[in-house]
Amino acid sequence: MPRRSPFVITRREFLYLSGAAALTAACGTGGSATTTTVPTTLAGTGAGTTAAPVEGGPEVSFVEPAEQLSGELKILLWSHFVPAHDSWFDPFAQEWGEMVGVDVTVDHIAVADVPAAIASEIQSGQPEHDLMQYIAVLSQHEPSVVDMADVVQEAENRYGTMLDLTRRSSFNPNTEKYYAYAPSWVPDPGDYRRSLWEAVGFPDGPASYDDLLQGGSEIFSSEGVQLGIGMSQEIDSNMALRGLLWSFGAGIQDENENVIINSDATIAAIEYMNELFAGAMTPEVFAWNAASNNQGLNSGELSYILNSISAYRTAQDEGLEVADDIFFTPALAGPETALVASHVMYNWIVPDAPDVNVAAAKEFLLHYTENLAPVAWNSKLYDFPAFPDRVPDLTGWIDSDPFGSNPADKLKVLNTSLDWATNIGHPGPANPAVGQIFGESIIPVMFAEAAQGAKSPQQAVEDAEAQINAIFDDWRGQGLVGGG
Amino acid sequence: MTSTTRQPRYLGDNPRFLAGLFMSPAVIYIIALVGFPFVLAIIYAFTDISTGNPDLEFVGLATFRRVLADPVFRDSLWNTFLFAVVANVLVVILATALAEILIRDFKGKWLVRFLVLLPWVAPVSLATITWLWTLDSIFSPIDWLLRQAGLITENMYWLGRPGTAMTSVIAVQAWRIVPLAAVIVLAGLIAIPKDITDAVAVDGAGFWRRMFQVTIPLLAPIIAVAVLFGVILTISDMSVVYVLTRGGPTNSTQVLSTWAFIKGIEGGALAQGAAVALFLLPVLIGITAVVLRLARRREVL
Repeated sequence: MPRRSPFVITRREFLYLSGAAALTAACGTGGSATTTTVPTTLAGTGAGTTAAPVEGGPEVSFVEPAEQLSGELKILLWSHFVPAHDSWFDPFAQEWGEMVGVDVTVDHIAVADVPAAIASEIQSGQPEHDLMQYIAVLSQHEPSVVDMADVVQEAENRYGTMLDLTRRSSFNPNTEKYYAYAPSWVPDPGDYRRSLWEAVGFPDGPASYDDLLQGGSEIFSSEGVQLGIGMSQEIDSNMALRGLLWSFGAGIQDENENVIINSDATIAAIEYMNELFAGAMTPEVFAWNAASNNQGLNSGELSYILNSISAYRTAQDEGLEVADDIFFTPALAGPETALVASHVMYNWIVPDAPDVNVAAAKEFLLHYTENLAPVAWNSKLYDFPAFPDRVPDLTGWIDSDPFGSNPADKLKVLNTSLDWATNIGHPGPANPAVGQIFGESIIPVMFAEAAQGAKSPQQAVEDAEAQINAIFDDWRGQGLVGGG
Repeated sequence: MTSTTRQPRYLGDNPRFLAGLFMSPAVIYIIALVGFPFVLAIIYAFTDISTGNPDLEFVGLATFRRVLADPVFRDSLWNTFLFAVVANVLVVILATALAEILIRDFKGKWLVRFLVLLPWVAPVSLATITWLWTLDSIFSPIDWLLRQAGLITENMYWLGRPGTAMTSVIAVQAWRIVPLAAVIVLAGLIAIPKDITDAVAVDGAGFWRRMFQVTIPLLAPIIAVAVLFGVILTISDMSVVYVLTRGGPTNSTQVLSTWAFIKGIEGGALAQGAAVALFLLPVLIGITAVVLRLARRREVL
């Protein structure tokens, strides 16, 4: 009988060994998953960007919860455009948890991934997170989330009336339900390069859409620097073009949620955009993603964009020369008014599902509201409060930017932002139909088709109207949208 | 004399048990990650379910009627067809040429093989983001090269114009699939009996004659398999289009897979998203059946 080598194993031994190894590996994985606690400051901050918390600023204050809390609170939110915010937020949440006896976990994911994550968690019926946040309205999830009316009521009792802007972005008047809690928002000013606009006679930047067309076209023809109002299938284009519609007296819906997109005012807005594109822009605006206008401004390739202050803060943080040349304007005046959409509208939702720690989630939101001043400070004045009384120093900070603006009052236009900011469903609420139209980028496509000459303005509007009507009909059928 | 079949003494020696054991991970994987979502999608498509409302209310074919009435869906259907056909014609031509090169001996062959396989082994999202930067409207290095060569005076705006955007997504998809197809065709080339190629050489056939009258007819079943993989990967994958254009500009690169995602997840109309995703299923099944039948017939011949 041949002698067996010690290095040869039989098929049976191989199977036994493989099974044992797999079992060991499984036990090891399971053990680490259940016993290891990931420090919240390091837990999944998107692309791995971390930043030191901002020095100084207001202290965090604490109000004892109304009831005894326990268990876990898992929070899902975006990776903030100002990374310093996340470096502050995660220990802020965890420290609150330690004080009230709740084990808090914070998961940040890239903003583009948040809608799919929330949708899948809610669809599963067993959400992983107790509290989820997004930077736009989440009205489509209304049937599956907890009513936040009690949180709003308690916050208003403590901190005064909530802004109508945020209320209309979190409350459905048809069902009288707060499908989300919106304690903060972000303004969307115009960002312009002063050196370029000064040279064409607009040292304070454009004040109206007529100024934008005139000055932008001159800069483009003399300096070869275009301006950038996106007509792409992404979030910033959606925001910017709604502002243009409203300022021309047009809109998607009226205050009673009836579709009004097919109007002379919409045609006029499209014709204006065609002229602006021909005179002051290039086809790059059809290809933009959410970061493109920021990158274009900071690389010196754009003379004007509609955006929050995040692009400017990035330029400051990276020591770019262009930072000192970036200034801000309020919403541009159109033939009817001067309005833009809020750049970000925070919506916090609590899934209506078994095992969700509703009490802890709601108490945390009240704690967050209590500390809207540290929120504004640590986001470097990016996040604005829905309860202005909670941040009494905001006006002063804006008038003299504590984060090194040159000149220090560069951001002062933000002090008037409530006069020219509105919600995406303006003049109606931000209902699920409006949210779906936003998600499918019907408005940017309507403008782009006309600007490219693929359709006449009238045809582009009629095609958009057909899609919009179908979407409104769907949601009306579910009782979530009024009008009709 | 009679032969007796010995029963295996241990479970580990039982071939039937082992076959089931080794197959089970694949079967569980397919049921859990393909079968279950597939059945769910069929159910969803006949309801009015949305991302926020998991209640299943059956509405018959209403969801399909709504989807068919949507002009973006019709554009997406045409784009999907164009995307799949053009990309895979390119794939077959390039993969056959590449396989012809890779089968020869030359210096640095291993490096070339490595580089050829790189697009396939690199994560698709990562590779596509690289293309996103390469095709950037302002800073595209392709534009820079074309400008240096005096071929263009202004940027191409690859992803900003409908025609160049579609060209770009087709090119990137072909670039991604060519390595897989090349490896499949290479395996087929290696399998061609040497006596046939020797006989052809003795008969004095030139390169083109050998290619079109001997090599390609013998490779046809293999190429059919490569086409099958390519078409399915192109139609079912949304990464390239989603990362490069999100279906834009003006939905000119919107394909069924991206539109299903945008409609179902980003728009919240889950039922319509499921209906869009299912739409090409009968077509894909048909393509698969025809291609496999053709491949088998060629093998028999």
